[in-house]
Amino acid sequence: MTSVLPPQKESTSGTYTFSSRPRALPNRSKYRDPVAELQEEPTQYGNIMYDRRVIRGNTYAQHILPVSAQPDPIEIQRQQEVRRRAAAKKRAKDQLRPRTPEPVEGRKHIDVQTELYLEELSDRIVETDVECQTDAFLDKPPTPLFVPAKTGRDAVTQIEEGELFDFDIEVKPVLEVFIGKTIEQALLEVMEEEELANLRGQQRAFEELRNAELAEVQRLEEQERRHREEKERRMREQREVLRLEKETAEKIAARVFAKHYLADLIPSIYSNLRDNGYFYDPVERDIETNFLNWLVKDVENTLDDHVLGRKVLDMLIREVVEKRLDVFQQMEQQHNASA
Amino acid sequence: MAHTRISNKMPPHIEPARAPIAFGRRAIPKLNEELASEDLVTRQCALASLCDLVHDPERAYETIETGCLENLKRLLRDKDSVVRRKTTEVLYELSVHNVGRDAFLQNDVILSLAELLDEPVDICRVNMHKTLEMLSEFTPGAAGIVDAGLVPQLVLKLPSELVEIQEIILDTLHFCLRVNVSQALASGAISILKEKLLHNSVAIRSKAAQALMGICVPLEGKNEVCKQNIIPILVRLLKDRHPEVAAKAAGSLMIATITTQGKYAALKAMAIPPLLQLVSSPVTEVSLNAIKAITTLAEAPEGRQELLNHVAVLESKQDHSSEIIRRAAGTAVRVITWKP
Repeated sequence: MTSVLPPQKESTSGTYTFSSRPRALPNRSKYRDPVAELQEEPTQYGNIMYDRRVIRGNTYAQHILPVSAQPDPIEIQRQQEVRRRAAAKKRAKDQLRPRTPEPVEGRKHIDVQTELYLEELSDRIVETDVECQTDAFLDKPPTPLFVPAKTGRDAVTQIEEGELFDFDIEVKPVLEVFIGKTIEQALLEVMEEEELANLRGQQRAFEELRNAELAEVQRLEEQERRHREEKERRMREQREVLRLEKETAEKIAARVFAKHYLADLIPSIYSNLRDNGYFYDPVERDIETNFLNWLVKDVENTLDDHVLGRKVLDMLIREVVEKRLDVFQQMEQQHNASA
Repeated sequence: MAHTRISNKMPPHIEPARAPIAFGRRAIPKLNEELASEDLVTRQCALASLCDLVHDPERAYETIETGCLENLKRLLRDKDSVVRRKTTEVLYELSVHNVGRDAFLQNDVILSLAELLDEPVDICRVNMHKTLEMLSEFTPGAAGIVDAGLVPQLVLKLPSELVEIQEIILDTLHFCLRVNVSQALASGAISILKEKLLHNSVAIRSKAAQALMGICVPLEGKNEVCKQNIIPILVRLLKDRHPEVAAKAAGSLMIATITTQGKYAALKAMAIPPLLQLVSSPVTEVSLNAIKAITTLAEAPEGRQELLNHVAVLESKQDHSSEIIRRAAGTAVRVITWKP
């Protein structure tokens, strides 16, 4: 049923080369024969997920082709490893797969097929199809009212006025409650107002007292203040007076002392002045200043004259002596020259 | 097959305007869930029921524990006015109880309430102001309101609001002024209060005088008061027919005349004769405040001179039944007869 070209054979004329050739799905019966499946030849197909040529992973990173066209020795090794591991896995799986147990001793397992022992049933029972259909519903007439047969006896009763209860007696507790509540409410309100009125009365009394006391306090304060101020003022005045008195006393004392001191002053002044020669006799003074000046000057002049005269005399004498000396020296020279 | 329902018909809904209240412990959580629903009618009914329940202190505590305050805060901004009104009522009831007030302070409800200051619907505003007033009555609450900077806004609202809201605002201010006066002074409260002193309504006059008393306590307040010539008005109010107005006016005077400036202003406005009249009034507060005012005025030499003639009146008060009046009268007599 399958038409599969061997995958190794590549068509030379085709544009594509397949590693997994597309094929139409075989038209299998719905309920497959398990025997027929086994006889199919295993098709080799390549899974693109495991195809080396398909780039997996991030496409933005460069997929660098290996430098040489030949696969790397490392790559070869790795692939061999992978293959070995796959084989090993397959072997392990095979071993683990449950198989039919080994035959018991003396027996042997044989595959048997019951096909040969199939027989066709030719003995068929004759069958016929029969149909049946109910008629459409007809309208049902209404069921008549079911009146059960009458049993028992008829009886009648009527409540007369005044038989259930007596209004006046029954209404009493209700009325009592009503009136009680109303009066209680009224009492409460009245009590509240009374309480308020009492409180207000107390408040008023208290306020009066408080105001009176406040006024008293302030008045006393004021009084205190005034008295104190008055006292202060008087004391200040008193102090002023004392101070003035003291000043006056001091002034008097100072004055007396000064007077006493100064009393002695004038005679001593006079004596001092006299000692320093400030009181003089004018005639004496005059003589001293004028007369004596002239006298002394005159004396000086006279003396100067005397001195001058003496000097002149001295000069004369000197000249004479010098001349005589010269003469004598000349004479001596002459004498010496002539001797 | 057995059902938990007894009859096919649901139990009759007695009050259509109120959500049915579940039994016992489940009541408040169920109402809390209904508060958060999308349907308007459910919310309204739930709020109505909650409003009734919260009168009871235990229920109020439960309400706060289950965290209804978050839902209530959100509902304050709801578009429907009935919802807002009921929410403010619930908050008012909660603020009556102490746990409610504490919870308000912890959960910043004050700021959410303050958003309603410009609310168009009157009743919501009334409830909101009542809540604020209740909150301000205790010191941490007043401190909270002052911290939230509401005092200037309240003062500014004062001239333009309805009469009953004005009363409530004046009360709130009175308590807040105990904590901090400077904010109110800064927003010109004294001039506004000055007008209110001459209002027709008795309550407003007395509350305005009370608020003035609070403002006068620190020194700046006293100076402002003298500067704006309020003391003559107060003296005029002393002759008012209604005792509460006179009492509060006397109280303001007693605090404002502590400074020398105040004393002379009061003496100039002839405050002594009406005060002496008020001393013999049967109402405790009136006579107490009047005696105290006389005491402060007696500190000034002119006042002392004039009051020396009236010492008898005060001495008669020294046998009064109330102990404070006895003490006050004793102090007054002592001050008047003091020699430097």
